[in-house]
Order: sequence, then C-alpha cells, then structure tokens
Amino acid sequence: MEIKYEYVRKRSEFGRPCSFSDFLAEVTVDIPPDPSLADDFIPQDPVDFAVQEGPVMALHEVNTERVEVAIQGVNHVEGGWPKHVDYKNSELTTRYREEVEREEIYTKTVQRLGSLMEHFIRQNNTIDIYEEYFEEEEEEDEEEEPPSYKTINVLRDPNQPKRMATRLSWHPDGNRSVAVAYCSMEFQDSRRDMCIDSYIWDLEKPYSPELSLKPSSPAVTLEYNTKDWHHVLGGCYNGQIVYWDTRKGGLPVEMTPVEFSHRDPVYGACWLPSRTGTECFSASTDGQVLWWDIRKLSQPSDKLILDITREDQLQKALGAVCLDFAPTMPTKFLVGTEQGIIISCNRDAKTPPEKIANVFRSHIGAVYRVTRSPFFPKVFLSVGDWTARIWTEELMDSSSIMETKYHTPYLLDTCWSPLKPAVFFTSKSDGTLDIWDFLFHQKEPALSIKVSIEPLLSLCVQDNGQVLGCSTRMGTVFLLEISSGFCTLRKNEKTLTSSMFEREARREKVLQDKHRERLVQQQERARARPEEQEDPHEVFKQAKADFLANIKAERRRR
Amino acid sequence: SFAVDEVSSIIKEAIEGAIGGNAYQHSRVNQWTTSVVEQTLSQLTKLGKPFKYIVTCVIMQKNGAGLHTASSCFWDNSSDGTCTVRWENKTMYCIVSAFGLAI
Repeated sequence: MEIKYEYVRKRSEFGRPCSFSDFLAEVTVDIPPDPSLADDFIPQDPVDFAVQEGPVMALHEVNTERVEVAIQGVNHVEGGWPKHVDYKNSELTTRYREEVEREEIYTKTVQRLGSLMEHFIRQNNTIDIYEEYFEEEEEEDEEEEPPSYKTINVLRDPNQPKRMATRLSWHPDGNRSVAVAYCSMEFQDSRRDMCIDSYIWDLEKPYSPELSLKPSSPAVTLEYNTKDWHHVLGGCYNGQIVYWDTRKGGLPVEMTPVEFSHRDPVYGACWLPSRTGTECFSASTDGQVLWWDIRKLSQPSDKLILDITREDQLQKALGAVCLDFAPTMPTKFLVGTEQGIIISCNRDAKTPPEKIANVFRSHIGAVYRVTRSPFFPKVFLSVGDWTARIWTEELMDSSSIMETKYHTPYLLDTCWSPLKPAVFFTSKSDGTLDIWDFLFHQKEPALSIKVSIEPLLSLCVQDNGQVLGCSTRMGTVFLLEISSGFCTLRKNEKTLTSSMFEREARREKVLQDKHRERLVQQQERARARPEEQEDPHEVFKQAKADFLANIKAERRRR
Repeated sequence: SFAVDEVSSIIKEAIEGAIGGNAYQHSRVNQWTTSVVEQTLSQLTKLGKPFKYIVTCVIMQKNGAGLHTASSCFWDNSSDGTCTVRWENKTMYCIVSAFGLAI
C-alpha cells in the first residue's frame, strides 16, 4: 500500500516544545458476554488442528549418474635419475651414487634427516594407536530393532532388448559372484537381435559381467556345483542341458544332444551329491525328469516320467516347473508341476512307477517353487497361485499344514532362510519381496519390501542368510541386505518351530481323520436303506391318482 | 486540530465497503481487517492534514463472548485526538479506532 504524505516545515519550527497532557483512560468497547448467542453454535470436540512453528524446509533427493569404473594396471618405470645416467646401466648408477656420496653436503643432510626421522619414530612409538581400548564386550541383548533392509547393489542387463532374469545362483564360496540366467520367457518370442548369453557377475564390478556364458540357446536356469565351484550347470530354453567350467571361459564344455534332451524348456536343474561330484538331474514341462552324468552327456543315465497314475505314460505326464533336491534328505526329491501338484519322489526306487512316492494336490495354479526346509527335512514350502504353503511329508491327502493368506498379486518364488527355521522369503508379481517369520506373525509378513514395479521372477539367498538377490522381468538383479534380526538364531527358536509344525500337522491329521470318519458314516447310511430308492415312484403314482380323482370330482360338481 | 466527525464518517465508509453485508467467515476475516485499516488510512491521508495516524481494527464473531477494551493517551490535548467507531451486524462486531497526532 503506497501512501505518501508530503509536508513542508520551516527549519525554525522543528523541535517545537510539545505541551503534554494526559488523556484519561476511557473504555472504548464494552460488550457483555451473551450466552444465548452460543446456542447458534455447535461445539466441536475434539478438533484436529495442526500448528507448526518452524522453518519450512524442502527435501530433495538427487541421484547422480552411475560412474563407470574399470580396473587398470599402471606400469611404473624408474625415474629420478638425471639425464646422463641411464638407469638400466648398473655401472652408471653405482658411479653416480658414489659421486653423490662424496659431496660435502651429503653427510650433513643425512645427519639432519636422520635426527628428524628419529624424532618422528619416537613420537610414533609413544602411543600405540592400535591398542584395544575397550575389552571385547559381551554380546548385548538383542535390541528389538524394527526389521529393515538395504539395497547393496543393482546389476542391470547390459543388452537391449532386455531379457528376463529367470534364475540366480550364488557362488558357493564366499559369495563374491552370482550367476544369473537370462532368457526371454515370452511365448514364441522371435526377436532375432536378442542376446542369448547369461552372465556371471562379480559383485566388485557391478557394471560389466565378469564372465559371459554363451550357450546355443538361452539358459533358463543356472546352478553352481557346491562341491566343485568351477562347474556351472545350465538348463536351456530348447531342452538341452549344458555345463560350463568357469576356468575355461564362456563356451560350454559339453551339451546334451537335442534328440535325448527335453522337449520343452528345462525349468529345474540341480546337482546331486555323489562321490565324483558330476551327477545332476533336470526337469521340464515335457513331463520328464532326466538324470545325467556330466562326463558323459550324450545320453541321460536315467529317466522318470511324471505320471501320477504310475503307468509311466508320457501322455498322462504332468509338466514340471520346479525341481528341488536337498542334501538333508538325499533319498528323495520334490517336483512341482504346472497342474498344481507336488510330487515327492524316491531316488533309489527300482522301477519308474515306484519312484513316485507321494502326491500332494497343492495349488490351484502351477507350483512355481518347492523347497525343503534346511532345518526340518520333512517339511517343505511351496509357492503357486496366490499363496505360499507349508507341507509335511507325512500327511499327503490333506491340505497344507500352514499357509499364508491369499494375496492380490500371485507369488513367483520362495526361499527358506538358511539361519532361522521359521523365516522364509517370497516374491510377488507386483515386485514386492516379503519376509515371513512364522513364529512371530502368520497373517502378515514381518517385512514387505517394494523392490521394483516389475514382477520378481527369482529369489536366492546367500548362505550367510543376510544377503539375498532377486531378479526381475526386465533383467535387473537387486541385491538386498536385511537387518540382523532376520539372521540371528534365538535360543529356542528351533524347538518352537518344530513344535509349531508338529502341532499343525496334528491338527491336519485330526481333521483328516474326522473327514474320513464322516465319509465312512455316510456310506454306511446309504447302504443301510436301499428300499428308500423305490419310494419316490410310489409317491409319484399316489400323487397322480389323487390329482386325477380331484379333477373328476370338480367336473362332477359342475 | 483533530476533526472527529470527518474521521468517524471516513471510518464508517471503510467498514461498510469492506464487510458491508457479509456474515462472519473465519477464512476471510484477515482480508477484511486489513482492507478496513488500509482503506481508512488512505482516506485519512487524503485529507492532507499534518497528522500522524494510527488505525486499529477488531472484528469479533457474535457467539456469546464478551469483549472489553480501553485506551489511554498522553499527548497534546489541543491538537491530537482519537475516534472510535463500533459497528455490528447479525454475526459480528467490528471496532475501529483511529488516533491522530499532530506533527
């Protein structure tokens, strides 16, 4: 508001004395309170009113461009010699050295420097800066920190177009590298320019893969051999099995011939523990499980057709989507199928029909992953449709002993934690990773992490239980480190978990028994009254006769 | 000296102009007080008199509460003066005071 008032005054009139007098206090306003007016208003109780007195600040995040780092060596050539001395010539160098030593200032400089050096060395030695200041404290009581996670690294597929990262496998030793299988699983994806390589990444160099594995057909699954760390087994999109020796480079050492391989992409390939460390087996949606010895990949050593009617017919076989073998239960293995059935099979049965031990009708959709618990070999976890379920080998006809709630996005992969018996991880198709702790809370995951917006296809946890890698549909692999609360085993966790599983198994058994009893009773009842079958006919005849009689009576009345 | 009647009419005009036929609205009260004060002050300066002016405005909602104010001054009674206007409508009271001090 611009208000200007200009006035002119004579200099002599400045400083004119002011005759002050008091203007007594007067009441300017006097409005008495009038409670009747308050009736026009409704008191609001409570009122939510935010008051903030503080500087308003803005939060702004900036992400810098990724710096491409490469490791290079430097060749250091000796220098410091004057021009006329060729440092490679030892005679010249020694002669030059003697010349310098003969100079006068040489001795003086050396003395001076020597005393300086002595002073500094003495200084260094007075205080031991590496001593232990505090004695190793006893382990503090576990602080109940809220579960949290950190993203350690992100590995992106360097090729365009980006393929899906279908499987990850950690290096068995020290977990410095991870093998990632890239394959586009789109149906009939016929892009020619797509790269078919899979990569082994070294975690120190997240920008370019350490080794590029080049199969003839993209690898759907990759697995490191826990006995021999240089062997990597791969199952390909066209059904072949290949294996690489990482010392020898990226081309496969050997591949199975196409005639004897699977007819569909190989979804599961696992190493088997054997004396030689060369045996493996693979499963695919063509309904077969084939055993191989990598020394002789020209023919499978054994074959199993996943026909649950035990007739060994390929037409009736179920397609396998995942294969699980756990060293804790070496005589059996688990196969999860497309039809939602989990089959537990015996390795050493003689005939193929005997191989199929138990059949679990588990999920409504394909079973994407089946894994045995590393702590309780009889208990296994499966994921498919919209739930994750826990089963026990002893109860086959019933449903799972424990399950998670039905989620909105469907679940794609799961993994037990190698350190805590009741903790497992699941990944969903909306890009979230859930960490479940069944001892703590069964309805909700203990921690739910939104990793990306694309579906998380595969999940793999390191042996230390703290770092896990998850891969997405766009070929990106995220490495997350979870808080130590998920990695430390508490005192009686194992007993609590085993008692929880037993309790649930008993509940299922009781329910199963009751169900069977009821079925038996129903059958008894049906058998006890066979004549009742005839009754409906009699009743019908009777009704018909009555009806006609009524009609006649009515007609006669009229 | 201070012309009380003139000032009083100026103030009344300003109030009528700013809040005339409105009902009390918490969100607009700030706007109203500032406009009353500014309007009054600009009109007072337009009089061209050699005075320093102080204008205050209080708007209070009619909800049963009471309001009491008083003022006291120490100045030159012959040349300085004050004028207060109390205005009300169905929902609010408006009290404007203008003090004029001769230069």
